[in-house]
Order: sequence, then C-alpha cells, then structure tokens
Amino acid sequence: MSTTRPPRRPAAVLILTALIFAVLGAFALAGCGSTSSSGGEASPAASTSSASGPITVTDGSGATVTLDQPATRIVSLAPANTEIAYAIGAGDKMVAGTSYDDYPEEAKSLPKIGDFANPNVEKIASFNPDLVLAAGGIQDKLRSKLEKLGMQVYVVDPTTYDGVMTDVTNLGQLTGSTEQAQQVVDTMQKAKDDVQAQVASLSRPATFLEIYSKPLMTAGGETFIDDMITMAGGTNLGATAGSGFPTFSTEVLFKNDPDVYIADSGSMSKPGDITKRAGFDVLTAVKDGHVYVIEDSLIARPGPRLAQGLQELVRMIHPEAAPTQ
Amino acid sequence: MTRLARTSVWPGIALAGGVFVACLLVSLAFGPASLSLGEVWHFVTTGPVQGDLPNAIFWQIRLPRVLVACLVGAELAVAGVILQDLFLNPLTDPYVTGVSSGAALGATIGIVLHMSNLPWMTVLALIGGFATLGIVWMAARRRGRIDIFVLLLAGVTISYLASAVVTVLMIRANQDMYAIVYWLMGSFSGRGWPDVEIALVAVPFMIAPLFFAREMDILLQGEKRALELGVEVERTKRVLLVTAGVLTAIAVSVSGIIGFVGLVVPHIVRLLVGPGHRSLLPVSLLLGASMMGIADLLSRTVIAPNEIPVGVVTTFVGAPLFVYLLRRGRKG
Repeated sequence: MSTTRPPRRPAAVLILTALIFAVLGAFALAGCGSTSSSGGEASPAASTSSASGPITVTDGSGATVTLDQPATRIVSLAPANTEIAYAIGAGDKMVAGTSYDDYPEEAKSLPKIGDFANPNVEKIASFNPDLVLAAGGIQDKLRSKLEKLGMQVYVVDPTTYDGVMTDVTNLGQLTGSTEQAQQVVDTMQKAKDDVQAQVASLSRPATFLEIYSKPLMTAGGETFIDDMITMAGGTNLGATAGSGFPTFSTEVLFKNDPDVYIADSGSMSKPGDITKRAGFDVLTAVKDGHVYVIEDSLIARPGPRLAQGLQELVRMIHPEAAPTQ
Repeated sequence: MTRLARTSVWPGIALAGGVFVACLLVSLAFGPASLSLGEVWHFVTTGPVQGDLPNAIFWQIRLPRVLVACLVGAELAVAGVILQDLFLNPLTDPYVTGVSSGAALGATIGIVLHMSNLPWMTVLALIGGFATLGIVWMAARRRGRIDIFVLLLAGVTISYLASAVVTVLMIRANQDMYAIVYWLMGSFSGRGWPDVEIALVAVPFMIAPLFFAREMDILLQGEKRALELGVEVERTKRVLLVTAGVLTAIAVSVSGIIGFVGLVVPHIVRLLVGPGHRSLLPVSLLLGASMMGIADLLSRTVIAPNEIPVGVVTTFVGAPLFVYLLRRGRKG
C-alpha cells in the first residue's frame, strides 16, 4: 500500500482520506441499488437447477453468473462467503479461503489466497477454481482480472438481511446444494419471523451501535446492521448520519441519549469498558444498564450466523421480550 | 535594532493572545450538539455537574476535546518553528525528524497487539517517537557534534523505514487496517481529560525554547557565525532537538498525524512578526493553538453528525494558504 509511505506529507493524508471515502463510498453506493425487503441486490435464480444445463444467477453487483454445471472448486475471498459455503454443505468443494476465515473450524485449515483486502490473483488462479466468491467494495477491481483468467466470479455484497438469504439461495444453486441452502434460508427466515413477532407490539428504543470508538463510527442506513437493528425492534441512531459506516459526533450521541448502547467487538476493535468512558455515566443506556458488547462476526459478516446476531440484538434491545417457542 | 525588537514584541503577542482567546471561545461555544450560548455560559459558571447530560456534553466531551486540539496545535507549531530554523529549511515540518513515523509505528504496534486503549497507545507512541529520535541522533553525531544535514537525511530515511514497517503490519494484520488508517489520519474524536493531561505534559517544552530565543536568532546566520558570536551551538542544538522531538511525540501520541499546522503556522507568523524568535515562538504557539482549534471546530460541525478528519480540514485550509505564501515570498 503506497498510501502510508510518508505520513508527514499532505498528499498522503489526502490519499488516505480518498481511500477511506472510496471504500465507504463503495459501501454506500452498493446500498443505493435497492433496499426493498424483497431481497438486497442479488436476485433469486431465474433458471431451474436441473441436473444438466447451465445455472444462471444474478450476483450482488447485478452481474449474471453462469455455470455449465455445479461448481466443484470454490475459492472464497471473504470470511462471510466461506461461512455461507460451509453452511450450505459446499465445504468439501472449497479449495482455498482467506487468512481471516475463522468459522467454521474446518475453514481455518484451508489453503489461503491472502487476506480480504489483498487477495493474490496468481494464488487464486493457481487453485484453478470454477467459482470465486468475492466481496464488494475493495474487491470490485479484482473481478475483471479474475474473469479475464476465465474464472466465474460471484460477488456477495448484501445490504439487507434478506439480501443475505438471497445470496445463500444463489450459492445453493451454483454449488448444487439447493436443499441445504433452503434449510439455511428457512432458519434465517424463522429467526426473522420469530423476532418480528416478539417485538411487533413493543416500543422502539433508540439504539446506538458503535463500530469503532476513535473516531466514533456507527452503522448508518442501507447496511444490514441497520436492517437488523430495525428488525430487532430498535431505532438505529446511526441511520441519521447517512449510509454506510459513517463517523458520528460524540456530542450528537449525547444529545440523542440512546436507550441502548451496543458496541461491536472483534478483531477490529475492542471497546473496553464503555461505562467507564469520561462522561458516559450520564447516558440513559449506561444508567439503565443497557450497554452491551456484541461479537462483530455475528452482525457485521453477511453470512448465516446473522440469524444468531439478530436474536442477540433482540435480547439487548428488548430484554423484556419473551422468546416465543 | 535589538532595542526596537524588544519593544515591539508585546503588541504582537497580545494580539495573538486575543486571536487565541477568540478562537477558544468560538470553539467552545459551537458544536454539533447545538447548546445555546446562554447554556454554555451557564455550564462555564456552574462547573461540572454529575449526572446532568447537557453539562456533560460541555465538560466531558467538548471542553477536553477543544483543549487537546489547541494543545496539539501549539505543540506542532512550536516544533515547526524550531525545526525549520534549525535545519534552515522552510519545507521542514515537525514530522521530518522521523519522530512522528516512529510514534506511528509504536501506535500501530499497540493497535495490532490490541493495546489500543489509553494509556498503552500513548506510551507505545512515545516510546516509538523517542526511539526514533535516539536512532536519528546517533546517526547524526560526529565527534561530539550533531550534523544537522545528516540528521535531516537520517530523519527522512527512518521516517520511510518506520512507515514501511507500518505498511507491513497493516497488511499482515489487515483486520486492524481501518484502526491503523484512522489513527494515521489523525483525529480528536473521543478525546477526553486523560488526553488533556498527556498533552499538558508538553507545556514546559513549549516554554523552554523561549529561553533560547537569542541563540536561535543568531543560529539563523549559520552555525559558524553563531560560534564566532559565542553561542554554545552544540548545547543549543541538543536542547532544541530534544524539545522538538518531545513536542512532536506527545502531539502525535494524542492525536495521530495531523499535517500542515506545524508547516504553515510558522511561515504565517514570520510574515506577520518577522523572524525574531522572541515573538515568533510565542505567536506561533498561540496561532498554532488557534488554527487547530478552528480546524477541529470545522471537523466537528460542518457535516454533523458526521465528522471530517481534522487532518483533511488543516490540509484544505493550509494547502491554498501555503501556495499563496510561496508565491508571495517569490515576488518579495
């Protein structure tokens, strides 16, 4: 990354900023496509996946992906994609993943093609995959390179919970595991239905979700995190700050005084003890004990475990809601 | 001539002090939480109140943040004056000594090891900054004296080296990439009283160079001439370099790397009050604090509730100003 060479230079600051805005902008733009509840960006498979004949689906970037037969050699370029592949029973077809694949356990032992932000094209090609599962944003440029090398690329880039289910269905088609994919979708759908039933008649407490603390960043509108907070019966404060993952003014956070404060914790950020931060003792969420930490892979990784994340969010936003079962 | 300089120092400092007070008041009066001026005055007079939310916005969020911004601005401006005049190079800023890159490396290690909460982050940044200063220092020491040009080159080289290591760490631990990138960009978001305390440690180092104002004036004519005039050149250089290094390391450890203030403020002040250090140093200190205070105000308010990285604001304000100054300087 040439962007960090001389940080003392104004140009470097500008380039860094441009990089950040570009990445965040890409997230935001990806969200502009469609946010209707009928399913993120990817649209369900148009063709039948009969044993013979090409399989055609539309991916998260709106491109059409066609395979003559179900994929047998899959390379995943994002931990979320790896999780989907394993969840739908295509784990045995995975030939390589990223250095950050940590779920399920088997994924850790896959050969690596580099990491999420710096996948190595030669390395990807060396596995001779018939399907590459990419992510949106930083990986957009990669697509044409991989396609020139004759690989089929499916971009997983959902901005809604339903969009993730669509991606799961599509990957089921592409890998010939439609049944297991359907089971995963059913589980996700059931979690969604249950949660919505639980919170239907409840108030919608103002909820702040901290993505990072210095600078304070939150999940804005047109993200699946926002979608899930709304589903879990909360009002996402971050949505007032625009789409994507915007920075958020601490003063405005205090002014809005959220009822529930949830901090994302994982590899990227460790929020520490939020209640001990200077001044935070006056916040309603802190006074009422509604401060929570959630594992980021459950809400920030567009895979099947979002169902689990959704249930956790309900427990945080509406601890009083009795689980239906 | 000295007599004239002596008498004309105070009006400039008083004026800069006035500008600083005005900037401080404006920075405290306005913010994205839009407290009214009456409310702000009320909070100032009543002091911090436990459990009152608007009061906490002022005393726990806005005030410490404004103070940190002003302190960092002052630190960078003073370090900028020292280094520009020591290196006799107008393009020098506090970051050329490699101290900031070393501090950035220390902070990056903190982020990668998930020790990014205070005070570890600051401690590691300070260690990184001082270690770099030590290396650069040893590289530049020849037979008991510091070769300024070797120091400059060694500083730039170490700076690149430290940045390269930061890049490697970013790629290796790329789940921390955003944290590192945001830290490198610099920000005052979420800074509180513990950060003010750290920034305050630098105050004696901002004042110390004032006692070397005469030596610094003479050093502008070159080391040889200064020696002839009886200046203890090596001792002065040592004190000033360490001072600038400490100022930079502390500033960077609190705020990350914020460009342009340390470069541009000394130039503006030279145009306003001339190169004499008895006024150049204090006026730079005050205007550096003012500029950073205002830059952070803009960063907090312009696109609220979002924030613009403060380094972007200082660059947008500083870049056109600097180009203008360069052109003006060429004409004159």
